Amino acid sequence: MQFLGTDRYYLNPELREIVNIAIAMEKPLLVTGEAGTGKTQLAFEIARALGRLNDSRFGTRDSGRDVNNIWDYLRFGPIGRAFQAERRCVLLLDEIDKTDSDTQDNLLDVLEDSSFVIREINHKLKARQRPITIITSNAKRELSDPFLRRCYCHHIPFPAMEEMTRIVRLHYPQIPAPLLDSALPTFYRLRQMGFEKPPATGELLDWLGALQLDGVARPVDRGRILHLGTLLKRAQDLLKYKSRESTGT
Amino acid sequence: MFLPFFQLLRDQGVPVSLRHVLELYEALEKGLAPDLDRLFILLRLTCVKKLEHFDAFEQTFAAYFLDAEHGRVPRFARDFWESKAFRRWLEEEVRRGAVAERDPGLRRFGAPFRAQGDRGSPVRQLRRRKVIEARRYVNYAAAATLRAENLRQALASLRHMVPAGPATELDVDETVTRSSRNGGEIELIFRRELRDRIQVVVLLDNGGSSMIPYVDLVKLVFAKMRDQFRDLDYYYFHNCLYGCVYSDHQRRTPYPLHQLLRRDPETRLIIIGDANMAPAELLISNGAIDYFSKVRVPGREWLLQLRSHFPRSVWLNPVPRSGWRRESSTITSIGQIFPMEDLTLSGIRQAVEWLNAGGTSPRQVGGIGTRR
Repeated sequence: MQFLGTDRYYLNPELREIVNIAIAMEKPLLVTGEAGTGKTQLAFEIARALGRLNDSRFGTRDSGRDVNNIWDYLRFGPIGRAFQAERRCVLLLDEIDKTDSDTQDNLLDVLEDSSFVIREINHKLKARQRPITIITSNAKRELSDPFLRRCYCHHIPFPAMEEMTRIVRLHYPQIPAPLLDSALPTFYRLRQMGFEKPPATGELLDWLGALQLDGVARPVDRGRILHLGTLLKRAQDLLKYKSRESTGT
Repeated sequence: MFLPFFQLLRDQGVPVSLRHVLELYEALEKGLAPDLDRLFILLRLTCVKKLEHFDAFEQTFAAYFLDAEHGRVPRFARDFWESKAFRRWLEEEVRRGAVAERDPGLRRFGAPFRAQGDRGSPVRQLRRRKVIEARRYVNYAAAATLRAENLRQALASLRHMVPAGPATELDVDETVTRSSRNGGEIELIFRRELRDRIQVVVLLDNGGSSMIPYVDLVKLVFAKMRDQFRDLDYYYFHNCLYGCVYSDHQRRTPYPLHQLLRRDPETRLIIIGDANMAPAELLISNGAIDYFSKVRVPGREWLLQLRSHFPRSVWLNPVPRSGWRRESSTITSIGQIFPMEDLTLSGIRQAVEWLNAGGTSPRQVGGIGTRR
């Protein structure tokens, strides 16, 4: 199968090749990059392209369980469900760096040959269909070498202005060009100012949404950025911006 | 056709193994690299697992497949060659006749450097040269003992699991045992959750040419620490500590030491630096290397305050222990304030012991002077 992007997700050609190679090689794909670069979204869009996001939901056979059959009492988590699915589905391990290193070690078999052992009944569960595994990480903490070895790794850089224009247009096809052309430089300038939480794609889209509702032609009014609160979320960052603005730097 | 490429990658410090080669051939058989662009992506996915290797990979690829001249010189090497310290050393060596001026290597890299003069004071120049010579130890230390795998183990002993909070976690094993003993009457046993409560503050010397030779080593240790602790704060400083440290590595956002001194004394404080500075920086009240610093308390006072506030503190020095005496007198002075260890595996183990013991261990540090 080939993943070609979807109508609401701009897929960089390089990333498209990477996803398709990972699918063909049945390797988990570890995606890193700062918040708002669309790491998690990628998994959802692949699932959407496959049309199998909810395929692996387990049936509710709560009543009528046979006490003598342990399988009636096993409740599988997302990994188990993905392994048991009839058709190939997308398995998303989101923000893997938030887990501790024990969890990551336990995942090694899952990544290597799509299997895990249910210790209580000493049963090895192997995937019928290897799921398309997408793992995301903010790289807050380093992942172990064995973990990395089992994945294909890709770092999504923050989109440059040209790419960002396309992303915005996917979300707001009607946005007036002058507004977008003057908003983007302001946005990238803010990102350069070294805030604790620099505004990312999500903030940009919120901001542009607010500006469009106002029906203004320019995002800056007499040196003041309109709806600044949609871009800077932390009080500290807002104060920092205000103090710089007043000193004129 | 690809084997020499893998060899080149290894030479550039990208760790590739047979496994990667096999994986590549498997992918090639599936026809996943029909053109150069996709070959580039496939090779990168197969070989490069860490962000810091991306650049080396790209340059190697350009050199091997596109025959690009610039690719032959890896960037980390260029940065080093362009440093003043290296230039100074090179000039000195040429003057001594140790390096021939017509040396092909020199011709390639030396020429642009010799054109510019270095205006540092004679003392500083000398110190820089010494630092360059000390670089051979770095390789020694890295090759001998300190590797990513064993470093992790050494740091793991720093973890300090203590049961904390309310008893909310069901102890399944114990519950089953007790229940069977009760003849099937279920008895639920709850335990307190195990939490890693350790707080760590790392102060990192990232300034000055004297740290250049140790950058790689320090980076490794630092990366592993970030991996190891949940509650880890790190700050940067240049040479010695005066009044504040910085929360960004360009040292623009100051973080006052007073604030640091208000933290829980149980916090583990790790300082990583070569402790190599002009004695004036340590002892004189306005010795701060930063010209505009208004701080009038000498660096030594700050170190003493930190040490007395954080009994669980240690200084990690990337300079090997054998070179301490020779390298700088300030190493000895600082070694009298903080327990000091070098960045070898044994040094780190020792440092961990210092941190766990909380400064109660009577052992003298490296035999250099007595602790306070």
